[in-house]
Amino acid sequence: MAEAFLQISEPGASPTKRACQTRAIGIDLGTTNSLVAIVDGGRPVCLRDDQDQAILPSVVHYAADGTIVVGAEAHDRLAAEFPRSTIASVKRFMGRGPGDAEATRKLTPYQFAPPAGDGGNVVRFDVGVGRAVTPMEVSAEILKVLKARAEAELGAPLDGAVITVPAYFDDGQRQATRDAGRLAGLEVLRLINEPTAAAIAYGLDKQAEGTFAVFDLGGGTFDISILKLEDGVFEVKATGGDSALGGDDFDRAIADALLAKWNLTEAAATDARLVRRVLDGARAIKEKLTVEAEAKIEVALPDGNRSAHLTRTEMELLVEPVLMRCTAPVRRALKDAAIDLTRNPQRGSEPPAMGSVERSSPAPDANSAALSGVILVGGATRMPLVRQFVEKLFGRPPLGDIDPDEVVALGAAVQADVLAGGTGQGDMLLLDVVPLSLGLETMGGVVEKIIHRNTTVPCGATQTFTTFADKQTGFELKVVQGERELADQCRSLAQFTLKGIPPMPAGMARLEVTFMVDADGILHVSAREETTGIETKIEVKPSYGLTDEEVERMLLDSFAHAEEDVQIRLLTEQQVEADRIAAAARTAMADSPDLLTPDDRTAIDAALASLATVRAGKDHHAIRAAIEALDLASKDFAARRMNEAFDRGLRGKDLAAVEAKADETAPKRDLASRAGGHSGHSH
Amino acid sequence: MICWSCEKEGGGGPFCAACRAILPPAAGPLGAGPGIDRFAVLGLPRKFEVDLGAAEAAYKELSRQLHPDRFAKADPRARKAALARTVEINDAWRTMKDPLRRAEYLLELAGYALAGGEKSAEMSKTRKVSAPPMFLVEILELRDELAAAQQAGDAVKVAFMSEDVRGRAAEAMKTIGTSIDGGTPESLDAAARALMSLRYYQRFLDEVAVHEERGAPSGGDRG
Repeated sequence: MAEAFLQISEPGASPTKRACQTRAIGIDLGTTNSLVAIVDGGRPVCLRDDQDQAILPSVVHYAADGTIVVGAEAHDRLAAEFPRSTIASVKRFMGRGPGDAEATRKLTPYQFAPPAGDGGNVVRFDVGVGRAVTPMEVSAEILKVLKARAEAELGAPLDGAVITVPAYFDDGQRQATRDAGRLAGLEVLRLINEPTAAAIAYGLDKQAEGTFAVFDLGGGTFDISILKLEDGVFEVKATGGDSALGGDDFDRAIADALLAKWNLTEAAATDARLVRRVLDGARAIKEKLTVEAEAKIEVALPDGNRSAHLTRTEMELLVEPVLMRCTAPVRRALKDAAIDLTRNPQRGSEPPAMGSVERSSPAPDANSAALSGVILVGGATRMPLVRQFVEKLFGRPPLGDIDPDEVVALGAAVQADVLAGGTGQGDMLLLDVVPLSLGLETMGGVVEKIIHRNTTVPCGATQTFTTFADKQTGFELKVVQGERELADQCRSLAQFTLKGIPPMPAGMARLEVTFMVDADGILHVSAREETTGIETKIEVKPSYGLTDEEVERMLLDSFAHAEEDVQIRLLTEQQVEADRIAAAARTAMADSPDLLTPDDRTAIDAALASLATVRAGKDHHAIRAAIEALDLASKDFAARRMNEAFDRGLRGKDLAAVEAKADETAPKRDLASRAGGHSGHSH
Repeated sequence: MICWSCEKEGGGGPFCAACRAILPPAAGPLGAGPGIDRFAVLGLPRKFEVDLGAAEAAYKELSRQLHPDRFAKADPRARKAALARTVEINDAWRTMKDPLRRAEYLLELAGYALAGGEKSAEMSKTRKVSAPPMFLVEILELRDELAAAQQAGDAVKVAFMSEDVRGRAAEAMKTIGTSIDGGTPESLDAAARALMSLRYYQRFLDEVAVHEERGAPSGGDRG
């Protein structure tokens, strides 16, 4: 099984005959691309669309007519043409509020809607035609396409899905991803971390044992994880990263330079299309320079084409400052995992100076482990500069024999299969960690950490607090996530109050707060006052997540929009049009009976009658057809009326009156006065 | 414990003696069942010296059997029991694998108030040890000296100082190791004092690390 397990790029394998134990799927919901995989005959495979493409570009276009286009079409064509209503890199906005840096960035093609009444903490894209969508809804559209692909392959209903998230996603970002899954109608069995998924796929494929670093630089996020692989147990030792650092930032750095070179920096602040095109140009030249030493690009702009020539070295100088931001998280993770790079016998150069102190143990040498290899994940790791950087940082070349695009989805599929009860992976077990410390704000805004980062989940911890003021009868508890010392520098997750404590002198009441993180990484908090036994419990819903009611409403909204709303809108439009044209016809017949031949009258009456019949139904196509039939039936009559009106005008009669008459046949006036009407007969 | 599944007496183990259904741990003080401490959770004797290899093997084997992933589609009561059991073994392994936590836990079991520092000091059942004033003065002087060296960018001095403090920390760890299993009140007091000083040393070294991390040139350019 070892050799055959991970046949990542093998399009030849026939997808028709599946030997799946479960209908569980693994989804890599990426910033740039998304994939879906299943376990078939004991090994994971990515599912392909009818163009034989495993990769679905994570781009969603909202068309003016209400349709939604996801994938290559949206990415290749629509993004450049409709930058505002085509959302790319939505993952960067998951779990973000309107005030977050990501939503206030200057170089963005998007327009943001003002915060809504409910869910006001969630950033929303204004995609035109009066529509605002949340990042969860946009992600759900991507998930729906992948779900449909899997259902076509496996049959419905699915047993559930494992969706991957960057290891460094905080609770809010995870909750948002989970909500997106629910909106797409998926049963989310588990969210797992992308580097962990990659390690699962790699480890099972290669039967690897030892301690590995996974360096995952995707389109929008950077993750570093250190895992120990032993006897089918994948134990995450440490994880770290930056949930807003990725290939997109390289593009942005290059685009910034291009805009400056072309004197367009100011214009870019207000022109979404310009930004989109220059970003696309930047990405294109970055990709060219991944294989070539120099490259030229041309960007088509409204006022003419601009071109630029760049060498790889020049580009590397632009992106290097961004790449350097990976250094600190890598060092911290290595330290947290007690990895001693000097113990690596194969190191090619001096390792970077590590923090020389071991936090958890004053005798690090006894506990430290050597590194067995570095696994690269994410499209950005294809860049030679990134590979060199990794080699320098870890003192060894990275392992090169895996497809960085597919490996995450494959690992997710394995975990999904295990959770759904598949036995293909035997005893495989994943032990993951809390990526960021969880704590409570105490007096003065200082954070008391209760669960530290890199603690294996599930886990729990209890801490006792006392009252600060005399006769204090309530505790205000503010739950935060992050490594900083002050609460306002951390992410605020939830706030709740424990009330009804009898008045006591300061320091006498004893509040026992218990944090519990379950296997899904979801935090539960309970608080109990020891002297009175008063208790309260919450499951933390981060401020940026959605309540169940909000999810339900959005689900209803999106279903209505996807299936019914569009139909209803098309129907309403045709009904209004039918009323308008029927009224106009009746008015004309009443006004000019002398111009009406008996045949005309019969034809028009018949057309009116059939229009009235379909007008009462729900088929907008039928109404459209009846409108056209009425148009055709009254064509001669209308033409005669026109001629007569002009004749009268030419004979010197009141021209204004003629125009007024002619206007009656024009659409606008009637529409305005009759738009609310329900039936043509009400005239 | 009465089994939730077959409603017979299931025993104290993770699986019901009668029907093999997974059972929750009995709640108890200090994160382990009554009479069962975190050492016992992993089948270890309550001693500072532990066989880490055996502890890790036990931890992984128990995880394999009890992890919630094994019960993803099971009865909600089984899932809840698996969750509680896994929290317990994760707690136990975290305590075992780190000598500092292990020492703290042993002293807590012996009735010392350590975890929350002064927060639980007023509880009558706890025993207290306090740092000698001379020690505190010394620590304050060391921190001042460190701050001055950092301010001046004297990396050599910082390195020498941390080397010195690391030596003291190792010494304290050794004291803990030799005295904590002694069992007499005197040896426990000695271990508790050593642990307290170890924490001060640790904080010193953390400060060095934080400062280095913040001030480190942001490059892989050192390779």
